[in-house]
Amino acid sequence: MINSKVLVIDDEVEFASTLCQRLKLRGIVAFDVHSGSEGLVSLVKMNPGIVILDLKMPDMSGLDVLTKIKEYDPTIEVIMLTGHGSTGSGLEAKEKGAFDCIMKPVDLAELVAKMKTADEKRSKV
Amino acid sequence: MSQESGWLTKILPFPPCELGNPKALNKGYKRFSRGLCAILTILVLIPPIIISALSHNQYQQLLEAEELDQLVLNLEVAQSAIEAFVGELKSVVKFIGSSDCYKKLLNPKDLEKVLLRMQKEYPGVVDIQVIESDGMQKAYAGPYELQRHDYRNQRWYKEVLERGVYISHIFSGFRNVPHFVIAVSRNATPEEEKCVLRVTINASTLQDFVDTIDSGYADDMFMVDSKHVAQTEPQKYGVLGGPCVLHDKHASEGESSQDYMSKNDVILIDSPGVAVFQKIFDGQRINHVVADLLNTPWKLVMVKERYLYANTWMLFKIRLVIIFLSCTIVACFVIVEISHALTNHIRVLNKKRQQLYSEAEHTDKLASIGRLAAGVAHEINNPLAIINQKAGLVEDLMEFSDDFPNKAIIVENVGGIQSSVERCKTITHRLLGFARQNDVVTEEIDVNSTLREVVEFLAKEATYNQIKIEFNLCDSVKKIWSSRGPLQQVFLNIINNAIDAIGNGGDIILSSKQINETTLQVTIVDDGPGMPAEVLPHIFEPFFTTKETGKGTGLGLSITYGLVQKLGGSIKVKSKLGKGTIFRIALPVRHSESERFNSKL
Repeated sequence: MINSKVLVIDDEVEFASTLCQRLKLRGIVAFDVHSGSEGLVSLVKMNPGIVILDLKMPDMSGLDVLTKIKEYDPTIEVIMLTGHGSTGSGLEAKEKGAFDCIMKPVDLAELVAKMKTADEKRSKV
Repeated sequence: MSQESGWLTKILPFPPCELGNPKALNKGYKRFSRGLCAILTILVLIPPIIISALSHNQYQQLLEAEELDQLVLNLEVAQSAIEAFVGELKSVVKFIGSSDCYKKLLNPKDLEKVLLRMQKEYPGVVDIQVIESDGMQKAYAGPYELQRHDYRNQRWYKEVLERGVYISHIFSGFRNVPHFVIAVSRNATPEEEKCVLRVTINASTLQDFVDTIDSGYADDMFMVDSKHVAQTEPQKYGVLGGPCVLHDKHASEGESSQDYMSKNDVILIDSPGVAVFQKIFDGQRINHVVADLLNTPWKLVMVKERYLYANTWMLFKIRLVIIFLSCTIVACFVIVEISHALTNHIRVLNKKRQQLYSEAEHTDKLASIGRLAAGVAHEINNPLAIINQKAGLVEDLMEFSDDFPNKAIIVENVGGIQSSVERCKTITHRLLGFARQNDVVTEEIDVNSTLREVVEFLAKEATYNQIKIEFNLCDSVKKIWSSRGPLQQVFLNIINNAIDAIGNGGDIILSSKQINETTLQVTIVDDGPGMPAEVLPHIFEPFFTTKETGKGTGLGLSITYGLVQKLGGSIKVKSKLGKGTIFRIALPVRHSESERFNSKL
């Protein structure tokens, strides 16, 4: 069981909404927004514990959003979605404070597992 | 560069470098080769030609000058001798004329004695006449019956009175024997004792003398008078008493040696008293000299037919020709060979260059394809993710819903969608890997441990397929300076292929060995079905696969090949149908390129 609220930030609307639906079916509270700026606003509104963040977005780069999230609340765990497959961006994201990375197309079971680990980490804090 | 060699390319067109039809290409190369030959030949031959011509001319001039000097020298010697001889004769006559006893001269018997005394020394003396100042012969000693003659008006008499001495030309006298006359006037104090002494001398005297002084140097030597009549016997160029054949019959009688010239003669020397002419006579080139004999009415003619140093000259010419010809032949031969070799070399280099260019183009193409593929893959990832999630959602919903008609089929199909997405994922990930710009770190790597790592990664799949992976690693192999990621990928690809090839139930043996100081070898052997001989040459080509459609991307080995190259190593494969496959990867312990791996990628 995941206690934290999950916020999905991805400019691919279909993807984000379907993902949230599937998470809901698994009993996870999930919301989706479709831009970095929207996401930052939602941080305040929704107060999520875990953020699923896409690396490449048109208005703001995923890394910038990551940094802002960490500035806002370092306890929020961010899982980066990468489509590049480039280990470089993954490493950079981890340096900037991301909890983990996962490549698109996403294996839901893998993502949920990572989210569980993140959640456990949060509850320890 | 083309600016500078503009004028050169007109003469020597650059050989063609673009691919064209073979005939035109050949022609181009032939033209280049010929052009090169021509230029080099001209260049190489000009110095010998110049030098040969120069030395030939110089030597010829030298020899001719020598010739001339020799001729003049011999002439002067002959000249002095003859002049001395004639002078001697003159002195004798003068001496007789100047003897004190005039009466004795008039006495025929005494005159006879004088004649005999003279003839003892000079056998050629024929007679003596004493002519008084009135021109009348007063006494005579000699063989002929000479009438009393009046010489008063004769030209020679007037001359002898004027000059004191007179020497005549040679003429045929009595009995057609050629002779000449020396006359002296006796200047005595008493007027009555003045007279003229006239001595006739046989021309043979002159001839004999000329014969004695003939050194053999000249091809002909004789004396002529002012009418070009030979006074002594020429050997070749005239007859005694006849005109000298060297001189124009119509040449004017004269004192100047120039008058002895015929047209077409070349005057070599023209100084007072001596003239040297060069002419062609009877097809042969001769030098001949005409020189005054002082105090005589004659001139001396000497003829030299050919070069004194004819043999030396001939030898020189032969040597020159031999040397020149051999130089030319050798030069031509060498030039032709060099031109051909050079042209061939250029041809080969051009071909190589062309090949390298093609290869580079090929590599470039592959890189473009890679980039394109990566772009496509990247673009596709997003819709793929959506499909994945939506199929997943349907699947989730199916789980929670009750049975309804076609539920099973829907579930099955959704599963099919998802597995297809999985396939796409593998493809896109592989494509991205193909053009991946990695941050690669070069470090010291233990190959053995890397192999073990990779096998661990595949262990599950292997055991699942009942494939046994064995290690035959040499512990003493050196650590190599390389990049972990690419190395892992290489091993992964090959072992993966082995697993795929075996299918179910088989063995894979991994071994490592230090071949030499600088090289390490990793061998991956599988006892799978092996590969047929016609497939082997293509396995490293991109997009080449023997797997069924959809099962393989055909990129694995080509990526592996590229990675091994970048690591500075080499990869070789051996395979036999029914027996299995062996991959041998050689890796350098230290690779200079590996430090630059980062920037290269």
